[in-house]
Amino acid sequence: MSEVKKLGVVISYEFLKHIRRKRLYVILLLSVVTELAVLIGFPALMDGFPENVKLMATMLSIGPTMAVIGAIFFAGDAIAGEFENKTGYMLFTNPIRRTTLVIGKYLASCLAVAILVIFGYLMVCVSLLAIYSEIPVETAQSFGLCLLYGATVVAITFFFSAISKGAMGATVITLVLIMVISGVIESVLMFAGQPYWFLISTAGDSITLVYGGMELMLAGFVPLDQMSNFPFEFENPDIGLTTLAMVIYLVAGLVSSLVISNRRQLS
Amino acid sequence: MSEAIVIENLTKYYNSFLALKNLSLRVEGNENVGLLGPNGAGKSTTLKIMCGLINATSGKVYINGFDIAKEKEKALSQIGAIIETPEFYGFLTPNETLGYFGKLRGMSGSGLNSRINEVIKLVSLEQWLNVKIEKFSRGMKQRLALAQALLHDPLILILDEPALGLDPRAVIEFRQIITAAGKDKVVFFASHQLSEVAQICKHVAIIDHGKLLGYDGIEELERKYNSLENAYLQLTGVPIE
Repeated sequence: MSEVKKLGVVISYEFLKHIRRKRLYVILLLSVVTELAVLIGFPALMDGFPENVKLMATMLSIGPTMAVIGAIFFAGDAIAGEFENKTGYMLFTNPIRRTTLVIGKYLASCLAVAILVIFGYLMVCVSLLAIYSEIPVETAQSFGLCLLYGATVVAITFFFSAISKGAMGATVITLVLIMVISGVIESVLMFAGQPYWFLISTAGDSITLVYGGMELMLAGFVPLDQMSNFPFEFENPDIGLTTLAMVIYLVAGLVSSLVISNRRQLS
Repeated sequence: MSEAIVIENLTKYYNSFLALKNLSLRVEGNENVGLLGPNGAGKSTTLKIMCGLINATSGKVYINGFDIAKEKEKALSQIGAIIETPEFYGFLTPNETLGYFGKLRGMSGSGLNSRINEVIKLVSLEQWLNVKIEKFSRGMKQRLALAQALLHDPLILILDEPALGLDPRAVIEFRQIITAAGKDKVVFFASHQLSEVAQICKHVAIIDHGKLLGYDGIEELERKYNSLENAYLQLTGVPIE
């Protein structure tokens, strides 16, 4: 039996595990609640929906958050769990390369994250069509970047899952790194006027920046003539560079998790 | 190489702790061998190296002629194993779990399905075939582990305390299944239970502190030491009153 066929088997059963877990449906439910909060909250608090469809698209875009949460919850225990829960004693005695297993698990996690992202963008598209009867063309680019971002966060989580003793450790480390540490560094570099395109949190931000950047967000809430009162100038990161950063994180995370998993022993 | 299992000068260090010291053992193609030894003797370490779960510090293990370190997939395709207390994915059912492992071993279609039904019946889990494993007791997981070890009809069974945690009736059933399997397979079986090993195996290897203390037929050991128990106690250095 070829390794490619084995890879297909691993993907199908690992994906089955993901769709059996309650966490997938909990994240889907939370995303519906979040979108409803925006759709109800906006007209209630802001005297109707914004005129600019791109601004509303930006406000409704929960894809990046879903990608991060989904990736971390699906991938956190992918490798560490086999050692922590001792399921590896069954799985690793099968005649399959550890590399094939890890890649299969990675692709299955990416598939599960893709479901979340697709669901999130479907909600955005349906909402925009209902309110504005149009969908900005940038939505396609945003969707593509979000899928890449999800795959990147899965790869980073795989790295931490490969080096962690437990799944919880991998989950928490990745969450803190992406949502807190990278975000804080991004803010500092942004205020200091230094380049920050290489940060993983910036990659996440670039998913909504395709609609028009910070200026679009602020223009929706602050009159344009008052924008000059802001203490610093926004410089949006280059989407090409943030995409490059994502690809680098993805390759580095996946390759290092493969190397570490191959060396790790079930002692 | 005609031997089913060849272990040559196997040494394993866990950091500075020596778990196995130059262990050598050869198992012919028609033998069932019990691996006996006190806690910490190196039994589980030996089995884990044989199954490719950990790497030896030095030495070789050949499974049906395949070097476990260099031809791991080919070596693993020869064996069915239960190592330590078996754990499974709780979200899957036995049917799905066995389907997963069976497909990884190249089984498919109706052949796989009928074999799953066969081994599930053998371990008396028919009623639980499509129930999620998260609801299973330890004994039921142990039964499922035996089913997965037998699923692909391997040439060699490597079992680490397979009856641990089972009730007396299940222990008897397990022994019967393994004894029947041992008629056309090599069973390499680690246990603390001398009586259990004596009922399943014709040969025993006794190890302690990572060293092979004796490897012979049970009848020969009984002749030499009066009983298997005496052989075990004398070889492992426990004073006999």
